[in-house]
This record gives sequence, structure tokens and C-alpha cells, in this order.
Amino acid sequence: MAMHFEQPSCSSPMLNWPLMNPNLSQYSPPQDCFTWEKSTEQQQKQSIFDSALSSLVSSPTPSNSNFSGGVGGGDGFVIRELIGKLGNVGNSSATPMSSPPPMMNRTTPLTEFSGDPGFAERAARFSCFGSRSFNGRTNSSLPVNNSKIINSGKLTRVASTPALNSLVSPMVPAGEFSRKRKSMTKGKSKETPLPTASPAPSFSKTAEEKGGKRRREDEEKEDNTKGPEPPKDYIHVRARRGQATDSHSLAERVRREKIGERMKLLEDLVPGCNKVTGKALMLDEIINYVQSLQRQVEFLSMKLSSVNDTRLDFNVDALVSKDVMIPSSSNRLHEAGLQAESLSHHSYNNNSQLHTNVSSSNMMLQSPVNSLETSTLASSFTHLPTLTQFTDSISQYQMFSQEDLQSIVGMGVAHNPNHESQNMKIEL
Amino acid sequence: MASAYNPIYTDVPEKDVFALHFLQTLSNLRTQNSFSSPDNKTSDRVKKIKKAAYVSMARAAGGTNRLWSRSLLHQAAKRNNKNVRFLRRKRRVTWLMRRRSNRGDPIEDVAAERLRNLVPGGGGMETSKLMEETAHYIKCLSMQVKVMQCLVDGLSPK
Repeated sequence: MAMHFEQPSCSSPMLNWPLMNPNLSQYSPPQDCFTWEKSTEQQQKQSIFDSALSSLVSSPTPSNSNFSGGVGGGDGFVIRELIGKLGNVGNSSATPMSSPPPMMNRTTPLTEFSGDPGFAERAARFSCFGSRSFNGRTNSSLPVNNSKIINSGKLTRVASTPALNSLVSPMVPAGEFSRKRKSMTKGKSKETPLPTASPAPSFSKTAEEKGGKRRREDEEKEDNTKGPEPPKDYIHVRARRGQATDSHSLAERVRREKIGERMKLLEDLVPGCNKVTGKALMLDEIINYVQSLQRQVEFLSMKLSSVNDTRLDFNVDALVSKDVMIPSSSNRLHEAGLQAESLSHHSYNNNSQLHTNVSSSNMMLQSPVNSLETSTLASSFTHLPTLTQFTDSISQYQMFSQEDLQSIVGMGVAHNPNHESQNMKIEL
Repeated sequence: MASAYNPIYTDVPEKDVFALHFLQTLSNLRTQNSFSSPDNKTSDRVKKIKKAAYVSMARAAGGTNRLWSRSLLHQAAKRNNKNVRFLRRKRRVTWLMRRRSNRGDPIEDVAAERLRNLVPGGGGMETSKLMEETAHYIKCLSMQVKVMQCLVDGLSPK
């Protein structure tokens, strides 16, 4: 695929990029770089690379003056490295500056291009697709921005941008964006998956090393809204087309989106929320639901307290002792569920409590159980028809554990009685 | 419900964890002896049980990892004159309060205020965080309600 550059030697090569590569997406130069990741076709890569390099080469030097110190030495290095990686893609590139080292890989900074500072500048300019003009860019903190790219999963699309992002962002007028990137003039077309790409591993690895701590959240917005969340300082939002782009409104929008997302979450929880739309009504629904739940708790606690005392006390004891056993027994029985949860959610306080409870409630339990008449027990737990003898406290526990839990807390805990008796023996 | 991929973590443990905690708390109540003495007013007992329910819910739902549970436990501990074991979060709260004053969506602010009054510990949170906490709180509350319902059903005279 021959890419030709009708590249006039104009002073803003970047703006002409869209004209240059009709085959690629109509995006701009950087997109060429970015598209490299996706492609698996070497040839395409090569051609793209060729075109990129040639355009870079051909861009006139006078445009360097536009960079009023925008690209520091570090920038140049970064860019060179990038270009070097790009160069690795197309080994057969015929551009003057390419004699890319045959090793494609990750960790070698390219030194071939080091001799051309102008090239670096042009490359930097070339990479700043997001910004509208390069005037007044004086940010030289580029190396600082090269924090690492986070998500390998996203590298295919993110990696294209972060390294260059880090180049871009300093270019962005600091006052306006404060780390939020301006949208492309073409709006949201960035989200379209880049049709062609360089070899993902090498390029993305480069970016990874360089570090683009930035992540273009909005680019992935279509796919997964809040994407994989590597810990990062800022959430990078892209201003959408036709919207205000100052930092306050962007922050406002981020906040609103966050709230909206959580509202969706709450919607799932609160029953009957589907018909209601709009934030205010939804919030009212949620508030009503929380209030109703709290009232329910109160009502149930009233009911509990009105359960006659002896029964409650005794039963609580019995149940607690059983329940206390349960975590230990269920260690053997339920590998995943209860154990993980109970162990993870119990603080160590609870665990110590557990142990003390075991001993105390065992003792407490034995006496009432042994002295208790079967009738009361039978009346309270009608599911225990076989509870007539107290010869074996263990079997007693067995009954309790199985049926109590099932009846009282409605758990379908399928305890194996044998196991339980074993465990309870041990506990006792 | 929520998709599997959810950066907002609002998982609550299973019912039995709640049950266990609640019963433990109840048994603690019982051993405190104030329970069995008949000269207690019913309302006192109700309050005690209610408090036990909330505390056990807070513990079951993640101890001090969650804001609402943390503040709940804090309140309960204060009433009991226990020592405060939690980290002080004052500074963060003030920062958030200052930040919150800048926000302004009047519609949602009003409702958010009401929600803050409802959810324990909601006073120092931003709206988005508040909603996370509310979601988790709702889940835990419903779980607790289920546990209590089962308990009441099991214990009530047939």
C-alpha cells in the first residue's frame, strides 16, 4: 500500500496530515502512529511508518521556530525513542533517518535519531494532534509526565496515546486544561478503533516504559465507562464536542457522571425504581426505601423483644453455640463461601469472641439442654420431632444445627451431620 | 443486578454472616443481664435490640472498612463510653466539606442532604461517595432485615 505524501512544505505539517492518508482513518498524524498497534500487517505498518517518517523528514525546518522551547531535550529523547520504535516496525524504510536497529524491542532507546533535534521537534509537533496550536507552549516537563502506562489490557488502544499523550499534554495550554485533553476538532471520532496499528507489544512496551500514567478515559468510554482503574492521580476526561472545556465544567461533568453511574447502581438495588426517571425522583425513591428498611428493622426488633424471654435467651444461646461452630465446621464443608466471608469479614475481635463464646456457650448450653424438657424445645422447634433424648449432646447439636439454622435463619445449609458431630466433639 | 465488572465494590457477605453476628450480639446482650430482668421497660429492650441489630450489621458488613459502619460503631461505642479505636478522620472531613460547598446542583443537593441524614456517617461525604455508601448500606440493611425476619419467624410461637 503506497502512501503518498503530497506533502507541501508548509509550516504546519501537522494540519496537513489528514489530507495525506486517505486510506487510514481520517484522523491525523498521530493516529497513524496509533493505528500501528492494531495492525497485524507488517506491510501496512511499514507503509505507515514510511509515510510518517517521510512526512516528518519533509516537514520544513522553519516550523521549528514555532516551538518556543516547547520541546526540551527530554522531549526529544522521548520522541526519538518513540520514533525509534516506530522505526523498528518498518525495517525496510527508506527514509533517510531510518536505519532502525534490527532489534525491535522494548527496552532499547533509539539512538539513531539522536542526531536530529529538528526531527524530534517535528515529531513532537506531529504527535500533538490534540492541540490546536503550538503557540505559547513552553512546557518542558515532558519527562515528568512519562509515568507508566497502566493497563496492559488496554494497551492496544491506550498505549498509542499515552506516550504521545505525555507529549501532548505539555503542549496543551496549561491554564485551560490542567491535564485534561482537549477533544479533537473532529469530535469523538477518536473512539473509532484504529484500523491499523504497529506491533502492539513493542510499541506499547515502549509506552509502558516511558510511562504514560495518563489514560485517555474518554477514548475507552464507549467500551467500558470507568475502565480498569489503575491508581492514578487524575482522571482524564476529554471535553466533548460542543461543550465547554474549562477545567471547572469538566470537573463538574466528571462529577455528574460519577453520580449518574452510582445512581444506576442504586437503581438496581431499590425495587420499583425503573419507572421513575430523573435524579430527584430517584433520590426520593432511594430515601424512601432506606427509611422503610430502617423502619422494618425497628419493627422487627420490637417483635423480637416481645418474643418471650426464656425462649429467646435459651434459643439465642443454643443458636449462638451452633453458629459459633458453624464457621469451624464449614471450613470443611463450604470451602469458598462462608469461610472466606466470615474470615474476611470478621475482625480479630470477633474471632476472639468466637472462641470465648464457644467455651462459654458450650458450658451454658449443656446445662440448659440437659435439664430442659423436651416439650419446650419441641414446641419452639417444631421441626425437631426426634428431639426426645438428651443422652448425646452431640446429636443434640446435630439436630439444632441442621434444623435450627434452616428454620430460623432460613439458610439452606446442608450440613453433614457426621462432620458436624466430629467437629463438635472436637470443640467440646 | 450490577454487572460483574463494577469498580464500585458493594458486595456484602452472605446471610449467615449477618445471622452469626446478630446472634452473637444478642447473646452478648443477654449475658449483660439487663435483658432478662423483667423490670426493664419494653422500649428499653427494643432499643437495645435495635442497637444490637445495627451494630451487628455494621460488623458483619465489613467492620471499619465502610464509612457508614465505621460511624455506626463509633456512635455505639461512644454511647457505651468505650474507647474510640478508629482513626481520626477529621481532617479529611473538613477538606471534603470545603470542597462540597463549591458544588451546586440544587436539586440533588437537597435530596443528598436528606440521604446524609439517613445514612450513618453521611455527613462528611461527597455526593458520589455518599451514593456508594448508600448502596452498600441498602444491601446490608436488606440482609439484616431478612435475618431478623427469619429469626422472628423461627422464634415466634406457632
